[in-house]
Formats: sequence, structure tokens, C-alpha cells
Amino acid sequence: MDVFVFKIVPFFTILIFILGISYRFYTWKKTPQPGAMTLFPVPHESTSLSIIKEVVFFPSLFRSDKTLWGFSWIFHAALALIFIGHVRVFTDFPALWKALSIDADVMSAVSGGIVGIIIMIAAILLLFRRFGSKRVREISGFPDYFALLLILAIVVTGNLMRFGEHFDLQITREYFSQLFTLSFAGMEIPQNPTFRLHFLLAQLLIIYIPFSKMLHFGGIFFTQTLIKRT
Amino acid sequence: MGNKDKVTGEGLRKSVIDSIKAIDKGPKVLKLYMDMCARCGTCAEVCPVYYGEPTELRNPVVRSDLIRSVFKKHSTISGKILGALAGAKDFDGDLQKFVDAFYECTGCRRCATFCPFGIDNSVITRKGRAIADSLGYTPETMKNVVKTSLETCNTDGASPEAFKAAIDFLEEEMKDEHGIDIKIPVDVVGTDYFYVPPSGDVLVNPEATTGIAKVFYVLGMQDKWTMSSKCFDGANYGLFTGNDADMKADNKPYVDEAKRLGVKYMFMGECGHAYRIMKMMMEKGKWWGELPFKVINCMEWTADRIKEGKLQFDKSKNPMPVTYHDPCNFGRSCGIVEAPRIILKASCQDFREMYPNRGENWCCGGGGGLSAMDDIREFRMKVSSVKKMEQISDTGAEYLATACSNCKRQFMQLIETHNAAFAIGGVHDMLSRAILINGKAAERVDWEAGG
Ligand code: SF4
Ligand code: SF4
Repeated sequence: MDVFVFKIVPFFTILIFILGISYRFYTWKKTPQPGAMTLFPVPHESTSLSIIKEVVFFPSLFRSDKTLWGFSWIFHAALALIFIGHVRVFTDFPALWKALSIDADVMSAVSGGIVGIIIMIAAILLLFRRFGSKRVREISGFPDYFALLLILAIVVTGNLMRFGEHFDLQITREYFSQLFTLSFAGMEIPQNPTFRLHFLLAQLLIIYIPFSKMLHFGGIFFTQTLIKRT
Repeated sequence: MGNKDKVTGEGLRKSVIDSIKAIDKGPKVLKLYMDMCARCGTCAEVCPVYYGEPTELRNPVVRSDLIRSVFKKHSTISGKILGALAGAKDFDGDLQKFVDAFYECTGCRRCATFCPFGIDNSVITRKGRAIADSLGYTPETMKNVVKTSLETCNTDGASPEAFKAAIDFLEEEMKDEHGIDIKIPVDVVGTDYFYVPPSGDVLVNPEATTGIAKVFYVLGMQDKWTMSSKCFDGANYGLFTGNDADMKADNKPYVDEAKRLGVKYMFMGECGHAYRIMKMMMEKGKWWGELPFKVINCMEWTADRIKEGKLQFDKSKNPMPVTYHDPCNFGRSCGIVEAPRIILKASCQDFREMYPNRGENWCCGGGGGLSAMDDIREFRMKVSSVKKMEQISDTGAEYLATACSNCKRQFMQLIETHNAAFAIGGVHDMLSRAILINGKAAERVDWEAGG
């Protein structure tokens, strides 16, 4: 069982994610669009620059709902930081840290810890907003709560590893490096239950993305192009 | 036009589901909107209808979900496997619910302006109306407008004779105002500009048309323009019933007429959706191939002449506070927002903005053709227009200028219903009252409030 779940499943996860996402992007790309959908005022800068701004800062949302903008911008920014932070779990860049004279472990402990708490709070606020506000409650269904709760569960287990009883990152790192280099012989599967749960939930999320509304992280480029292009 | 008789039963169910499944093949915009919505609730926050009375079915997402959930059920992997857990739901056979819901969206596109993804719920609305139309469910009032327009080339069903009589009357009015002959040329072949107003600007609020005639006169271009006694109404309700074939059929006579008249410009009047169809859809989409003329708009044209210093005004003719309502189709859909302001500021003493304005303006509550539907007058008066009326009263304006016959009709009824203390009219109307001809503005005191 362990062998299957921790040696085989991760590859399926990645495969499903990549195939799923590519398929969705492909169908969007190939679907024909007769006629322009331009929405004025069109941006002064180039279409792509304005879309990048939209993706990074959510200006449309800022103009209409500052509270939601606050919650959701922090939430997404934290997600992005966490994503970057996790790269270090899989591979490290000692030379880079040395060049910048940063103690990477201390830095990641502090910044990772802070971001972990921030995203937890943001996710809880977004969850409250889902049933606290009439107009959002009306449009919230199982997929919406599920997505938030899943992310929250992943965040909580992640935080437990950082703030809970001692967690040995080194074992996990070795596991991933062996997994990615396909060195199954002699691979040690981490036994820490919190990590195991965190890892499985994260995979569930990754598999779920291409089939859910979380696809909006890619779709935004398509939809914004439609209204910003003249 | 769509089906004459309403389709019912299993045939109805199958047709609806098939039309929704067809979204998978495009257009891209609809397909994306089926897959993409983070369900953040921003659209409801900025929607004039939901603002007016926030019932669940008026929440833009709930309305759009009428189609989206059926699409999920039949055309997505997650919906097929997970069903309701993925937000999928089969069509329950109640098409009347679609009709009622989709004829409560004004198609104003305000939601798209603020949605983080730019999701334009009016596109889904139009699809919903198209499905209803194909099965004979378009509300009678709308069906009749389309029918009249296809038969007579204008939405009022006016004859060429009635049109010519109205033009004669306008020429007399201008003679009274200025003591000189200012012509409105009709059916003249070989001029440069073919003026296509909404019929309302000839038959109901004709001052916009006299304003245009005066501009041509002042510029010494009396013989450079013409109207057509056959095609004098740019309004095109195919846009609103979702029926593309009707929209094109309604459009074609105008393009043919412009070719017959041999003009260089199709000179669109103060009608937002008419200009949007001509400029953004017909011309851009090359419905009828390459054209021997260009589509332009009267407000931009006049504003350019003002900027060139070719027109002079006596602003004291318009002393009252004036504000401008950006028709959604001119503002958000065509980007014409500065020109009307240039004209109004040049011809009025006290121009005031309402807030927000331009691309963020609130709909009058009669968009998407709803303004023509007296069967939902109560909804237009009490729900979809609430925010608009607040906006206007905040300005303290006594005259509301707007460049759209549908908006004007909506406002006339609003004024009547709520005893509002402002008059309604067009942009060139203000110009018509203040423009100097041979150094003198029109001599008149009996301006009708709102026509
Ligand atoms: S604003 Fe856009 S993403 Fe948010 S609920 Fe409305 S349509 Fe969906
Ligand atoms: S198009 Fe206008 S009326 Fe329709 S849902 Fe969007 S904001 Fe509301």
C-alpha cells in the first residue's frame, strides 16, 4: 500500500494535472470566437501588460469590492509565496543563499511561518464570507466550500509541521529527490503522519484543479484577452 | 424570427439541452464563461438589477447558472461524474423560468467591468434569450418589435410618408427658430453622409435631428448629407432577442441603402446599440464583406468640429444644470464617452457629472431591449433603475442628456412614475438650442420638457 501510494500515485497526480490542464487550455484555444467582445475603456498600455497587471494586482476587483480584494489578494499572494517556498523542499540552491549571504533555513522558517499563518487567516475569512454574505451564499455550492476547506486542511497540516512537534525536513527532501530521480531502491518513505496527510491532500488538490473552478488561474488570461482586445 | 408556436414537452427539453451542449463548439467567450467563474459575488455587487432588489434569481451568477449547470451536466467530465457535487444540474423543462430570468438582465455589461476575470454575464443572457427565441418563447412585446422592424425597416412601423411629414415639420420648426431655411435632405443620391438615427429622434424627441441639421448648415454642408425615407431607424432588436439571423436581416437593408445612396459615411445617430451593431459587429465582423463606406458616429463627428472651433454657442440658452447618462452600449461597448461631454460642455452653462460615469456608469434599467417591454414596466420602474435614479438626483440636474432612444423611453416613464424633477433629451438637443447660426441662437421659449 505504502509503495503504491508514495511511489506510484505522485506520478499519476502530475500526469493528470498536466494532461488535464493542457486539455482545457487546448479546448479554449481552439474554440472559435467570431466577433470582438471589447469592453471599454480599453487599457492604454498593451493588452498583455494590462492582463499581467490584472493577474498580479486584481485592479478590477479593487475598484468594486475593497474588502474582498484585501482577503483574496493576500490569499493568492500567500499561495504564490508558498508555491515558491516549496521548491526548496524538492531542491535547494545553497550557492544562491551563499551568494546572497542568507541563512536559508532561518529565512524560510520565519517567512514560511508567517505566510502559513496569514493564508490560514485569509482562507478562514473567505470561508466566513461565503456564508456570511447573502449574495455570496446564494452562489456558493459544494465545490466552493470544498475547494476552500481542502486548501485550509493543507495549510493547517503544513503549519502543524512547522509549529508542531519536531519535523525532520531532511528525510522528506531525500524522499522527493529519490522520487524525482526514480531511485526507488533504498527509498525511505517518510512516516510522519502529518506529512503524509499533507502530501495526500496536496495531491488531491493538484488532481482537482483542472476539473474545477480553480482553473481560473489559467483561464483569466483567456477571458481578459477577450474583453481587452480591440 | 424564432418559432411562431411554443415548443413543449420532450422536444423542448431536448432542444434546450442540445443548444446548451453546442456551447462546447463555441463561441469561445461562452465556453470560457461556462468553465470560469470563481463565484466571488462581485458581479452581484455591481449589477443594477440585484442592487434594486436582491432576490436570488437576480444574482447574475444564479441566472447564468441556469445555463451553466446544464452545460456542466452534459458537457464536462466533472459534471458527468460528480453531478450536483460539481455544480451540475439537468434542465428541468421549465423554459419560462429562463425567459423571466433572462429578460430581467439589462445586458449592461457592468458585471464584466468589475469581475476579476471580466466575465460578461450579458453574453450568457443573450444565449438564454436565443434559446427561448428558437423555441417560440420570446415575450410577445419583443417579438412584435422585431416583426415590425423586419417588415417596415423601423421599430415604430412608420411609413415613408409619415417620416416625410415628420421631416417637413422639423424643417418648419427650424424656420420658426432661426428664420431661415435649414434643410433635412431625404433620399438624395451621391452625398457624403447617410444619417441613421433611431426613429425616436425623428418621431419622438426630434431635437437631436434638428441639431444635426443645424451643424451641417453652419458648416456649409447642407448638400453633403441625406436621410432615407426607407431606412431611418438604426434600432435592431435582433441583438436583444439573441437571434443573429434576425439581427442581420434587420441590418442588411441599411447597408444596401447606404450603397444605393453612394455615400462615404454611414453617419450613426444617438443610438447606442445601433452604433454598436453597425460599428463593432457589422463593420468589424465584415458581415457583408468590404464596404464602400465607413461607419462613424454623429457625436464624435460634431465634437471634432467643436474642437476645430467651427461651431459657436450661446450657452445662456441652456442655463439649467445638465448631466449626461452614458448609455451602456455607447460607453462600455463602443468607448464613446468624451464626445457627448464635449458637445454638452460647449452648449450648456452648468454641466455636471454623475458618479460613477463613463465605462463604470450604472445602466438606466431599460437596457437589453427591456425598455420597450411595458409588460415589465413595474420591474423597470422599481427594481432595475433604483441606483440610476439615486445617481441622477445626487447631481441636482434639471436636464438629463443621453444618447439612446431606449434609455430615453425608460427615463420618460421613470419621470412619470416617480414625479421626478428633471427633463430628458438627447445630446444634440442641447446643441440645437444653443448653436449660433449667423450669430444667433434659436428664438424659442416653449421647450417641451422631455418631448
Ligand atoms: S464577478 Fe465574475 S468570477 Fe465573480 S461571481 Fe461574478 S462572474 Fe463569477
Ligand atoms: S449585464 Fe448588467 S444587468 Fe446583466 S447581470 Fe451583468 S450587471 Fe446585471
